Amino acid sequence: MTMIKTRGLTKNFLSYKKSPGFMGSIKALYKRDYITKTAVNSFDLEIQKGEIVGLLGPNGAGKTTLMKMLTGIIVPSSGEILVAGSVPADRNKEFRKRIALVMGQKSQLWWDIPAMDSFLLLQKFYEVSDSDFKERIEEMSTLLDVKDLLHVHVRKLSLGERMKMELMASLLHNPEVIFLDEPTIGLDLVAQENIRYFIKEFHRKNNTTIILTSHYMADVHALCKRLVLILQGKKGFDGPIEEFEQILGREKSVSFSFSETIEDHTHFFENWSPEWNQSFTKVDLRLPQEDLRDIGKTVLEKFPVIEFNTEKMPIERVMKTLMEKPELALGENH
Amino acid sequence: MEKIINTLQRSLPKWWQTIKISWSNYTAYRLNFFLQIIGPALVFFFVKYNLWTSVYNGDPELVIKGYNLDQMITYHIWSMVVGLLAQGMSALNLAEDIRMGRISSYLIYPMNFWEYHTAGFIAFETLQTFISILTIIVISLFGLLPGLTLSALFYGFTYCIYVSLFWFVLQYLTGIIGFWLEETWILRVILSILTAFLSGAIIPLELYPEWLVNLLNYTPFPYLTYYPIKIFMGEIGFFTKGYMILGFWMVVLLIVNKIIWKKGIRMYTAAGM
Repeated sequence: MTMIKTRGLTKNFLSYKKSPGFMGSIKALYKRDYITKTAVNSFDLEIQKGEIVGLLGPNGAGKTTLMKMLTGIIVPSSGEILVAGSVPADRNKEFRKRIALVMGQKSQLWWDIPAMDSFLLLQKFYEVSDSDFKERIEEMSTLLDVKDLLHVHVRKLSLGERMKMELMASLLHNPEVIFLDEPTIGLDLVAQENIRYFIKEFHRKNNTTIILTSHYMADVHALCKRLVLILQGKKGFDGPIEEFEQILGREKSVSFSFSETIEDHTHFFENWSPEWNQSFTKVDLRLPQEDLRDIGKTVLEKFPVIEFNTEKMPIERVMKTLMEKPELALGENH
Repeated sequence: MEKIINTLQRSLPKWWQTIKISWSNYTAYRLNFFLQIIGPALVFFFVKYNLWTSVYNGDPELVIKGYNLDQMITYHIWSMVVGLLAQGMSALNLAEDIRMGRISSYLIYPMNFWEYHTAGFIAFETLQTFISILTIIVISLFGLLPGLTLSALFYGFTYCIYVSLFWFVLQYLTGIIGFWLEETWILRVILSILTAFLSGAIIPLELYPEWLVNLLNYTPFPYLTYYPIKIFMGEIGFFTKGYMILGFWMVVLLIVNKIIWKKGIRMYTAAGM
């Protein structure tokens, strides 16, 4: 079942140039040079029920704009969207009950009252029955380990604790589609992991459709099977995470550390674009996947290796390269 | 009919819960709340008390435009009560919500922005009513409100609550202008100073030139403070004219609010703050 479908989705922002200073402000009152900026450019997307899709892209690439169009907060300039069978921009209440938006950078909870009070209000907003409400609060607060904090004023919570409350608040009504906009931003590693685990569990139980944006590749790696890359408002990639890792070729990154300085550092390694540290005791190599075994074996035999490892998250390197050279994903004629 | 009952059944719990949460929000900082509500009213009253005592020069025989000193003081006590009851500041949060971009949340929740804030207004008004009753009791204990009748109190309270609704609709307008202006508090300051003078909150309208009073009678201003004071003082009973004129202005404001909101939200959603 298709949960999200967009066709030719485009959003243009109209803004005007303002010359600096006071005179610039005055001038802007009567004469404005308008510039159109295309934030999202004819974007096609199709997401099935139960998928977790990672939406990746550098700052300003159009991720948030896309999320806002999918949730109905902003109206597209052109193109079609259908989310859970509704047009989001109509913002009818039935649609709003079926989605949730979690923004890591913006608090949706009321600051001066305990989280539980906010939950009770949201329960009424979303018309959740008392029994469902109790069950979900119990379940989620146990999973997130915040049971003792439900009656503490939100302003007194740490960032990580607050984020957990935000998640609970957004998921109380058991939405069919969840939009998570950088849910782990600014959190410590343990809290990040907690939240990842929680999202995973929630998804496993409810088979929810989830769209996730994050700058932490660990989030994406842990949660998403499918990635969609957005660069300069356009779709740069859409497919399984394994394919994304291979956008730049089927090579593996392997690093070796040695117990002593390697004198003969040019000759043996030169075919695999070696990158040495200053003292020549550590090298990063790019090895063709099919030769990984043989070359690895030879290095281990020939040199005093004390440690070796393969790259844990190739997507991080791929993302970095693509941000520097978007044309690799968008094509030369871009 | 069934449909209406059904809708009511579904939305009443939302409104009730919102009212309850607004109460907790308003009283989260109790002292702050108390100072914010009572403080300015008391200071304002004290200033006016001193002003008029020196104008009358302590002469109890002197009558200015039909008011002797005691009547003038009574007028200003009621002016304070009307201010508490009818001209609250519940729309402060509303402008703040727009400025901070919190409005996105209301576009996602199945509860609209105006519903949320109207419920907040109801919560605020009940608190204000409570505070006003306390104020009247305390002042009566000092014997400063002679000749007070229950019927005057009843007419006064019902009319003032009606005025507060009008005031809320007007404040709502200044709040949603926040779509265009970064800071709207200056608008509210101008509005409240203007209202203080034109509504008779500082000087009874009898002291104004007749042509101005005639003109003001077509505007909402005298109906906000001057006439409600007269109701509390027992000079007017059920104030049909006031209900009608404010009702007319309220309809006008509601239409303007609707248009402004529509334009504002379109701009907001187009820019995507």
